[in-house]
Amino acid sequence: MEKPQIQPIFSVSDFIAVVNQTLEYAYPSVSIEGEVASFKVSQGKFVFFDIKDKGGSVGCFMSVWQLRVPIEDGMKVIVSAMPKLTQWGKFSLTVKTVRPSGEGALKKSFELLKAKLDTEGLFAPERKRQLPTLPKHIAIISSTQSAGYADFIKILNDRWGGIKVDVAHVQVQGEIAPDQMIKAIDFFNQQELLPEVIVIIRGGGSADDLAAFNDELLVRAIAGSRIPTLVGVGHETDESLCDLVADVRAATPSNAAQILVPDKNEIIRSVRVQVGSLLPRILQIIDQQKIAVSGLLISAIDSVDRAIDDQTMRVSNLKNVLSQLDPNKVLARGYALVRGVKRIGSVIEIETTNNIMKAEVKNVINK
Amino acid sequence: MSSTNKSIFEKTTELSKLITWFDSEEFSLEEAIDKFKQAEKLAASIELDLSSLKNEIQIVKQRFDSEN
Repeated sequence: MEKPQIQPIFSVSDFIAVVNQTLEYAYPSVSIEGEVASFKVSQGKFVFFDIKDKGGSVGCFMSVWQLRVPIEDGMKVIVSAMPKLTQWGKFSLTVKTVRPSGEGALKKSFELLKAKLDTEGLFAPERKRQLPTLPKHIAIISSTQSAGYADFIKILNDRWGGIKVDVAHVQVQGEIAPDQMIKAIDFFNQQELLPEVIVIIRGGGSADDLAAFNDELLVRAIAGSRIPTLVGVGHETDESLCDLVADVRAATPSNAAQILVPDKNEIIRSVRVQVGSLLPRILQIIDQQKIAVSGLLISAIDSVDRAIDDQTMRVSNLKNVLSQLDPNKVLARGYALVRGVKRIGSVIEIETTNNIMKAEVKNVINK
Repeated sequence: MSSTNKSIFEKTTELSKLITWFDSEEFSLEEAIDKFKQAEKLAASIELDLSSLKNEIQIVKQRFDSEN
């Protein structure tokens, strides 16, 4: 004869506790994708919403501080949660994380948070600080296994040297990535010797891959960093909220290295060109001096020549004047030179160009 | 490392001053060759410094995946 089965009799509270224990054992954490409905925030602390699809709906509960991205009714999300039966017998999900699912939801969430943070002034140009011209100590927050990190280090080493580079290896994708990056930012901000700049880098990826860089708390951590920040995430066309809040935004990780340090090869080339141009310049100046000296010599010779010509001309003029004063020339023009005393009866001498004659004065009349 | 960087900065500043001198009113042909030799020496030194500088990359030991 079979022994009758004895069914346990629970108190209501015990039954709820047993159900919760069973649920916890069966589903310590469950991810559910669905659409948000009846979203509301109560007392500024508690978040309630339903997650639903065509076939059903489940109530969700979480704390405001756990809500890292804005959500609203109609948005498709993935919640990571623990199922629970409340003491009032209502089944609900205690949500640990919620993230938008699909391109449309990601974009919507991005725009909502962007507008919110923009209103707070987190992206204002006047908040932006300049990066040091030639940093000697920098901090990098990235995954050391990522292509973006490798690109950054390669370009950095190619362009400049002598920098102390501290690297915080973190996840740059997925749910835990924002918290890890926040911890790394805090870590560097608490150092005794502060790095001069924090560089946050990650290579390209899908919108979902880059979603970590649109996390509200991470954006606020970057805004609150007392060390200036440089963010280079994704490709040139990707725009994340971390890009917008950073002091300087780089289009890519490689571009971040280009912004951070000058190119030593460019400096070497420039120095060579500048010094190389000096010798031809000296030779050019010597040539100019030579031309100037010979110009002065020619000018001096010209001056002497002109002085000689002037003097020659003057002598020639004087000679002309002198020649006009020669008495023989006057006699040659038909005049005569008379010598003697102008008295009646005296003998005077008359000289012409060809003759000298004696004559007697017959009469003297005053004119 | 930092002192070497500073030294490069000082050297490039000095070189700039020397090069500016060639275009200034202080220029004299008598001093030009000496100044040119100084500039050549500085340029070589800057190039050597820049080529030999290496970055010191260190992964911090702190882990960021823990709760604390």
